[in-house]
Amino acid sequence: MVKSLTITILAILTGWLCLAIWQTPLDASEDNVTPTSTPEQVEHGRILAGIGNCATCHTASLDKPYAGGLDFPTDFGTLYSANITPDKETGIGDWSREAFIRAMRKGVAADGSYLYPAFPYTHFKNITDEDLDALYAYLMSLEPIAQEPPENELRFPFNLRFLQWGWQLLFFDDEPLQPDPERSAEWNRGAYLAEGLGHCTACHSPRNAFGAEKKDKAYAGALVDNWYAPALDASQPVPVHWDEKSLYAYLRTGQSDYQGTAVGSMGEVVHKGLKVAPDKDIRAMAAYLATLGGQSTVGGEKNEAAKLIEAAHQRVATNRSRGEELYISACAACHFNAPENPRALRAELSLNSAVTADDPSNLLRVTLQGVAANEGTPGIVMPAFATFSDDDIANLAEFLRSRAGRPPWSDVHERLKDLRQLQN
Amino acid sequence: MLKFLTDKTAPTTDEPLSLSRRGFIIGMTSVGLTLAFTRSPLSLADPTTAVAEGAFEPTIWFQVNKDGSIIVNITRAEMGQHIGTALARIVTDELEADWDKVSLRYVDSDPKWGYMVTGGSWSVWQSFTPLSHAGAAGRIALIEEAAKRLGVPADQCKARNSRVIAGDKSISYAELVSDGQISRSFSDEELKKMPIKPASERRAIGKDTRALDIPSKTNGEALYGLDAKVDGMVYARPIIPPTRYGSTIGKIDDSAARKIPGYLQTIQLEDPTETVQGWAMVIADSFHAATTAVDQIKVDWTPGDTANVDEQALIDHGFALIDKPETGVVVVDDGNVTKAFTEAESILQQEYITHGVLHFQLEPVNALALEKDGRWEIHTGNQWQSLILPVLAKALGVSEDKVVLRTYMLGGGFGRRLNGDYTVPAALAAKALGRPVKMVLTREDDMRFDSLRSPSAQRVRFAFNAEGEVTGMEHHAAAGWPTQVMAPSFLADGISGGKYDPFAIQGALHWYSVGSNRLRAISNDLANATFRPGWLRSVGSGWVNWALESAMDEAAHKAGQDPVEFRLSRLKAVGKNAGSAPNSVGGAARQANVLRRVREMSGWGSQMPTDTGLGVSTSYGQERNMPTWTACVARVHVDRETGRPTVEKLTLVTDAGTIVHPDGARAQVEGASLWGLSMALHEGTHFENGGVVDTNLNTYTPLRMRDIPEIEIAFIDSTETAVGLGEPATTVVAPAVANAIFAAVGVRMRELPIRADAIREALQTKTDTA
Amino acid sequence: MPIQFQINGKATTVDVPEDTPLLWVIRDDVGLTGTKFGCGIGMCGACTVHINGRATRSCITPVGSIAGTAVTTIEGLTQGGNHPLQQAWVEAQTPQCGYCQPGQIMQAAAMLREFPNPTDDQIDQIMSGNLCRCMAYLRIREAIKIAAGNMQADAAEGAAGGNGHA
Repeated sequence: MVKSLTITILAILTGWLCLAIWQTPLDASEDNVTPTSTPEQVEHGRILAGIGNCATCHTASLDKPYAGGLDFPTDFGTLYSANITPDKETGIGDWSREAFIRAMRKGVAADGSYLYPAFPYTHFKNITDEDLDALYAYLMSLEPIAQEPPENELRFPFNLRFLQWGWQLLFFDDEPLQPDPERSAEWNRGAYLAEGLGHCTACHSPRNAFGAEKKDKAYAGALVDNWYAPALDASQPVPVHWDEKSLYAYLRTGQSDYQGTAVGSMGEVVHKGLKVAPDKDIRAMAAYLATLGGQSTVGGEKNEAAKLIEAAHQRVATNRSRGEELYISACAACHFNAPENPRALRAELSLNSAVTADDPSNLLRVTLQGVAANEGTPGIVMPAFATFSDDDIANLAEFLRSRAGRPPWSDVHERLKDLRQLQN
Repeated sequence: MLKFLTDKTAPTTDEPLSLSRRGFIIGMTSVGLTLAFTRSPLSLADPTTAVAEGAFEPTIWFQVNKDGSIIVNITRAEMGQHIGTALARIVTDELEADWDKVSLRYVDSDPKWGYMVTGGSWSVWQSFTPLSHAGAAGRIALIEEAAKRLGVPADQCKARNSRVIAGDKSISYAELVSDGQISRSFSDEELKKMPIKPASERRAIGKDTRALDIPSKTNGEALYGLDAKVDGMVYARPIIPPTRYGSTIGKIDDSAARKIPGYLQTIQLEDPTETVQGWAMVIADSFHAATTAVDQIKVDWTPGDTANVDEQALIDHGFALIDKPETGVVVVDDGNVTKAFTEAESILQQEYITHGVLHFQLEPVNALALEKDGRWEIHTGNQWQSLILPVLAKALGVSEDKVVLRTYMLGGGFGRRLNGDYTVPAALAAKALGRPVKMVLTREDDMRFDSLRSPSAQRVRFAFNAEGEVTGMEHHAAAGWPTQVMAPSFLADGISGGKYDPFAIQGALHWYSVGSNRLRAISNDLANATFRPGWLRSVGSGWVNWALESAMDEAAHKAGQDPVEFRLSRLKAVGKNAGSAPNSVGGAARQANVLRRVREMSGWGSQMPTDTGLGVSTSYGQERNMPTWTACVARVHVDRETGRPTVEKLTLVTDAGTIVHPDGARAQVEGASLWGLSMALHEGTHFENGGVVDTNLNTYTPLRMRDIPEIEIAFIDSTETAVGLGEPATTVVAPAVANAIFAAVGVRMRELPIRADAIREALQTKTDTA
Repeated sequence: MPIQFQINGKATTVDVPEDTPLLWVIRDDVGLTGTKFGCGIGMCGACTVHINGRATRSCITPVGSIAGTAVTTIEGLTQGGNHPLQQAWVEAQTPQCGYCQPGQIMQAAAMLREFPNPTDDQIDQIMSGNLCRCMAYLRIREAIKIAAGNMQADAAEGAAGGNGHA
């Protein structure tokens, strides 16, 4: 009796679960609204796609933009991005507007299957109808490219897409972001872009064991794709905190006077994505992001930087370690700054987040592979120091840390080993 | 040690370096006037025919062209000393030529130019008299011609600035040459009697000028060996074997390299001269392809016997040799040394060590080799063409007249390119492939293949009598001997039999009166077997003067005397230290003079800040027959916590006799003193597993701009014989620094390079035992 | 894949592997040999060229990373080799063997754009990356100061002249 009752309850539960998990496939034929797009919408969508940096993740080879197939190694296995060109067989050519919006806001594909949260629908839920329409119009205007992305290579049970229902239940709240009436329109615009389309915390927030962003650690920094996305909250590692001016400069040009230069993934965000965004949107994002770090020394940053650089100079004035020899020979010609006048193009290493962050990845990676003309600050090339031995680089890193007044990194050799493998 | 170079045992042309005892001929050619030394009496009889037919047997020195331009041929390697300018200034002065019309031509290794070597700071010293004679002969011939043309007696004419002037009449050299029929010869005897101008009449020598080789070094036009190219050449990079000698190749696996675009093949070199042993050469269309291919190719070697030799073994072996009284060669023995030590009231004995120094000439060694019209051409920068030419001929299996070295600027010499071993593998590869080969060593290859300055082990002893006076001295120096390995015919005879490498002990034949002195030079055979010891800027003086001048300081302190006074009281121009004409006039008195001068300039004896001290050192340079009197005071501060020494100032005084090119001379002393400082504190390598551990700038750290101290340099105003000065200043800095460290914090450093850690540990030990 | 860039003002295209160091492309493919090879690991500065006006060690810069940029070598620093630094280098009789000097001059030229009136310490910090094995450092420093002085004087004169005409 008890047993049959249990079975009955389980059956009901299972049925309910199935119903709950089940998502209706939506295809174009069922969509009553024939998408009519204006050239203005397409153009608006192009800019939004830039702000969302869609191309970076959805392009594996430059001659096939948006055709997907880029690999995303995760703790659970490797994911491959989808083809989002309007190809009917392999892309989203037969996706209705409704299907598109559901995918963007609910993380459910047109066929009703759950999307993995590597696709940041957790952020895109915040996008307005109008913007989604424009994005849809833009994507549908692209050249269809037939390219089937490789099958995901996820370990069991992560390969079971329906389990994402549970993930959503635990970690996903589909309520969109509400404007803060206490804040300016510009700030709210910035928050809308950063938290929505821009999905900044997808990289800049640490994630939990299930791959969900830790809400209480938003903008606390994280390692993504072997680049460290530095903290932007009050724990930010840069001694001269980000402010509106530096964030604007950084997001607009890829460089800031004191905090760093956009390379790696962030380089793509700036140089490929945000490049198309209007100035006012960049300013809005800067206005919003600047408030994450708490009090900033508005107007006093130049003096503050001068003091910090002077202190760095003093700290190592009599140092003649191996690392110092390497620094003076290989680095200082480009990176030395006069305290009163540090230059963005001479990235000041005592202030730069690559040195001041708790994670050495950015410094090590840039040292190994350099910065090409089309990355970082446009047209500025940093050579690749891969010819240095691991000991050399570790010594150099230790010197730079001490110069910046930070404790040594403990994991330099391990990180180097990993990062060198990436190179090959 | 010119006497050794002119030694009859030298396997070279007779009187290889001496330009004296030659006649001089002057005659017209289609382009103008040629002035040449000759040894043929026939040429003297008919100079114009001899010149026209190119019959001026050995050496063209300069020519005056019809447009008045003057070309001076330079047989010396241009490696930063602006030697061409100095030599041309000597000619110009006696020729009374217009300096603006003078240019240089650096010549190839044709035997007609005579014996070719650039080293030992010899160039100016050896060339001064013959070039002065050449210039004077030219002037006389031009004046005689002008006298005829102007219708005045020759003794009423004078020459100035490329014109002959008689009263209000004058005629230019260009006019004289363009339509003159000058034909003149001077016999050997006439040349010998030819007066050289008194110093007061000099218009070029001793006056400042701009070096002729400098402009092309500021705009990328100067061509170095690395820049040599010919059509159809392939690039080669060697795979350096694990040991300098005796490695043999078992198998070469290049399968991975074949994927590299531009990679052609890897060949194994067979070298009949055994200059390179166990070498494979990677051949490719580009240097990048050759470089990357090397990293992909696996070579199985059987290494030579020295594969396990390390630095300690080399040093220990040196001291073991010193411990055996029968080893080595006695170079100086005043007699009664044993007696002095037997009867001594007290004895001071100390041991000194220097570690290897790499040349690190900035241009890694390279050579382009090709065969053209039955003759082999080697395009490279080299300092001793006449030494490597026979080796190349043997390697290629041709006679010496079938090999010529084409001359390029040297991207640093410092003695590395006295040893032309790097030309051999390029030649062998070109021969094996039947096409031109441009071999370039990477920096790492270059360092592993360097003929570095040998590590050295030395022991110095002083005997003191009851009055505290020095009554005897012994100096034993063991190191690898470059000359023994590479140019054995230049070894010198020891006074008690045996031969020694003069270059490996020079600098220790000092001018101090120390009672009875004995000097023993010992060849470190383990060093010679492990690597090819090199001549490196000042060679042996670099280590022997370190021991000598450190020990002098220790002796001064033991005697309770001021280190300058202690030295001065022993620099007496008496007996063997009296000096002699023409080269060492004044003897020890001139060394005392530079020492007194440096004492004044440096503020010797003044109150120093805490942990700061002055140290002194002096040297006669390398050769007693060509002394360059040098003294140095270093001011050094020591950071007690880290041990780090900071050299705050170097004061140097040099007496090099007549200074031909003052600014060039100053530049040489600036560079040499910083070399000395670099070797004292910043350089130094050591052996592990049969090779040097430092192969690039990541661990080998020559002095850089931020560590240069204040430098004050003075020259003694002198009209004595011009001697060389490219090297002596390198040898005085390290002992001056060590002596200053002692003065600053009371610890004695006896090992080069001096490391901060060693000072810190010594300070710690001193504190612990206090 | 062909890589395009400018060298000394001229457009050029080279077809070499992208990982080829720019140094060897300049020397062996373009044929300008004023830029030198010293250490191959970016620590001696003999290979210094300008990429878009900034001093860069060409021996460790893969040519693939400089596509689209303007490269300047010692041969193209000025027409005729009369940059104030080159003149000062002659005036101070700076070079000895000369091998490092193209790199020194290129590094100094880039420095003077950002530090038009450099202090000794600034010169030391920036120029210490350029090794001079002849150790002609005293004169390198001296020549930089001569050139900086001349350039400042010229700039002042230019500015004054400009005002005069206005």
